[in-house]
Amino acid sequence: MTFLSLKNVTKAYGSVPALRGVDLSVAAGEIHALMGENGAGKSTLIKILAGVVAPDTAEISTEGRRVEIGSPRRAHRLGFRFIHQEFNVVPALSVAENIFMGRRYPMRGGMFVDWRKLNEAARETLEKLGISHINPAQALGSLSLGDQMLVRISSAFIGEEGGPARLYVLDEPTAALTRSESERLFTVLRELRANGASVLYVSHRLDEVMDICDMATVMRDGRSVDTGRIADITHDDLVALMIGRRVEEAYPPAQAVPRDETVLSARDIPIRDGQPISLDVHAGEVLGIAGIANAGQRNLLRTIFGDLPSAKPMMLGGKSYRPRSPADAWRAGIGYIPRERRSEGLIVSRPIFENTTLPHLASQSRWRTMLRPRREKQLAEAQGRLVRLKASSANQRVRELSGGNQQKVVFAKALAGKPRLLLLDEPTRGVDVGAKFDIYSIIRDMTAQGMAVILVSSDLPELLGMADRIAVMRDGAIADIVPAAGLTEDRLLNLTYGRVAGN
Amino acid sequence: MLTLLRRYGTLIGFAAILLFFWISLPETFMTARNWLNISQQMSMLIVVAAGMTIVMVMGDFDLSVGSMASLAGIVAAVLLTLDYPIWVAISLALLLGLAGGAINGALIAYVGILPFVATLATLTMLSGAAFVVSGGKTISGRAIPEEFGNFARGGIPLGEWGGVAVSLPNLTVVALVVVVLVWVLLEQTTFGRRLYAIGGNIEAAHLSGVAVRKLKLIAFALTGGTAALAGIMYASRVASANPTQGSGLMLNAIAAVFLGSTLSEHGEPRLLYTILGVLVLGVLDNGLTQLSVDSYIRQILVGGIIILAVSTSSLTKGLRSR
Repeated sequence: MTFLSLKNVTKAYGSVPALRGVDLSVAAGEIHALMGENGAGKSTLIKILAGVVAPDTAEISTEGRRVEIGSPRRAHRLGFRFIHQEFNVVPALSVAENIFMGRRYPMRGGMFVDWRKLNEAARETLEKLGISHINPAQALGSLSLGDQMLVRISSAFIGEEGGPARLYVLDEPTAALTRSESERLFTVLRELRANGASVLYVSHRLDEVMDICDMATVMRDGRSVDTGRIADITHDDLVALMIGRRVEEAYPPAQAVPRDETVLSARDIPIRDGQPISLDVHAGEVLGIAGIANAGQRNLLRTIFGDLPSAKPMMLGGKSYRPRSPADAWRAGIGYIPRERRSEGLIVSRPIFENTTLPHLASQSRWRTMLRPRREKQLAEAQGRLVRLKASSANQRVRELSGGNQQKVVFAKALAGKPRLLLLDEPTRGVDVGAKFDIYSIIRDMTAQGMAVILVSSDLPELLGMADRIAVMRDGAIADIVPAAGLTEDRLLNLTYGRVAGN
Repeated sequence: MLTLLRRYGTLIGFAAILLFFWISLPETFMTARNWLNISQQMSMLIVVAAGMTIVMVMGDFDLSVGSMASLAGIVAAVLLTLDYPIWVAISLALLLGLAGGAINGALIAYVGILPFVATLATLTMLSGAAFVVSGGKTISGRAIPEEFGNFARGGIPLGEWGGVAVSLPNLTVVALVVVVLVWVLLEQTTFGRRLYAIGGNIEAAHLSGVAVRKLKLIAFALTGGTAALAGIMYASRVASANPTQGSGLMLNAIAAVFLGSTLSEHGEPRLLYTILGVLVLGVLDNGLTQLSVDSYIRQILVGGIIILAVSTSSLTKGLRSR
């Protein structure tokens, strides 16, 4: 039985159409995937469902009755619940307070919050997700990002005032979750489905979608292009539908073998919150770094990049290297793609060319001081072509670009100084399939020219597809370094959890 | 239409104000003499607002510029009464401004105090220091050499206008020089570009190799320097110094930057727009004074206009993003 039906939804922002005609139908007791590249219109559609954005035209009905959504309040009353990419939380408040935010707190004597009852209710909510390791009285900000997301998710599952929840809309819920955390979420989603609720699930992770969803609707350029049963469609078909052409291989083949020449050599370098680390990266090599969340990957990269102090010098290109700041690292020929592109990688209010040249500004300027914008724009345009950036001009503000193209600007910036070592922290997170392939191709091109790459990723197929060797981090130490060839996903996963020995 | 209002609302308002004064004061308002007069009256504010723009580009601000101007004026005047040469008095007062600004910068960038708190504290200290150094009195009279006061009264002759000799006031020339220097600094150098990067996203700027702390310190030092210069200009103009004479500068400078940023395409502080903001304030002040509007009423009007300009810009922005 159809719970939610949308017909001919259109929406334009000014003269720019975001939705040109979307049909979507979600049955009760179904997990329905909404797929499409960044910019296909998924977010706009979800905002319309949430009552935040008003459509230009739309026929929306629930259980066969025509409805107008109009406001977030109305959406809530219709039984719609939303879990967004960006979470609205207050880090200084406790887990329980965040879960029950916007809802009535249990009271005592009509005046005082019954904290014990509140914490108890929060504990029960969390347990529904199989979460027992989070203390409801703890400040939310003290939790890991993954745990914070779990708390956020759990708060959407509370049965409550204003009618029962009928449809859960999840937008990239697993972006910050580890595999086991994601698994727990999936268990809950299956439970909800068994109870007759509908789930609209947005994710770039195809494996997840293939695993837990029943149906999929694919959007492209503001239209719904196809709807079908997941069981009837292959991974490759889905990708082809999303990007409108077939992609032969998920990972472009390596063009050359790594050379013997060592680019970076670290020996017993102490890492904050971790143990001393030794590793070598060679010219033309991709060294993958695997590990569960917070196993020390980020601090390792930040130490090499000079953002965290290094107690001992490393060797870079045969010379002693001990950076005291990111500026030192850029100067020494290291490029860095940080994990959070909007908060760490980009200045979205500034033009593409200013972002591209920022680390290399002195070398682009006269007497290292006076700006030469024309030259900067030429460099930015050349770099933009290299990374297959789609933008109207080098003057365009980064804010106006899609997620995949924003990430390409981060690459353009890192590569503009022709680095000999590139540090990548989750370079394809939240990036659509087409842009992902472009990014992998860029990495291949760069290694073919002799650049060394360190790739931190929680996406195991990505590590297996791109890396030559994989260093497995556990508890702030490198536990194993193994060749990627012949390694399976299962074995790599077991290594990250320390269930088997390397070699 | 809305975009037009957001982008040009302040300009349209400015044009309306000009028209109003032109009609109300047909004899005196649109004359070269009056405009040169406005430029002189505004020269101190232009210098402070230019300095304020430097830190506001980074998303910070400096509340201490007014009391820094007062203290610098006092220090210059006291040194003159002690028979130091004029160039020594001016240099030391300027150095004091740079040093005071650098202290602001150090507190904000290296100690990590919020700009509001840090510069509020230095505002209080500098203002107290101005009273201590001056003994709470206005320093004036014969102890201050005539050349010092004559500088502000002088100018570059421009010829005759309607039978009256007009000249470009020296203080206006100083303000123009400061504007050119700050404009080059902010718009044409790597320093300015990096400040804008810090203002856009401080973490991304840091990870892109921008030496955030060092640049903040330098930026605040420069702002302190411009405040001191304005204080010296004021002392020269009235050939005296009192410990509160810079007090109106800070709010007006911040107001000018805000007014100006409503004009810039992306709502960020840009120097030339700041100068337009100063001009709006200056014209209002000049016109209302000529119409003999009470100075307290003037304050109310100026505050209202700032609210109007900034809210037009932010309301129309909100509508557009819907």
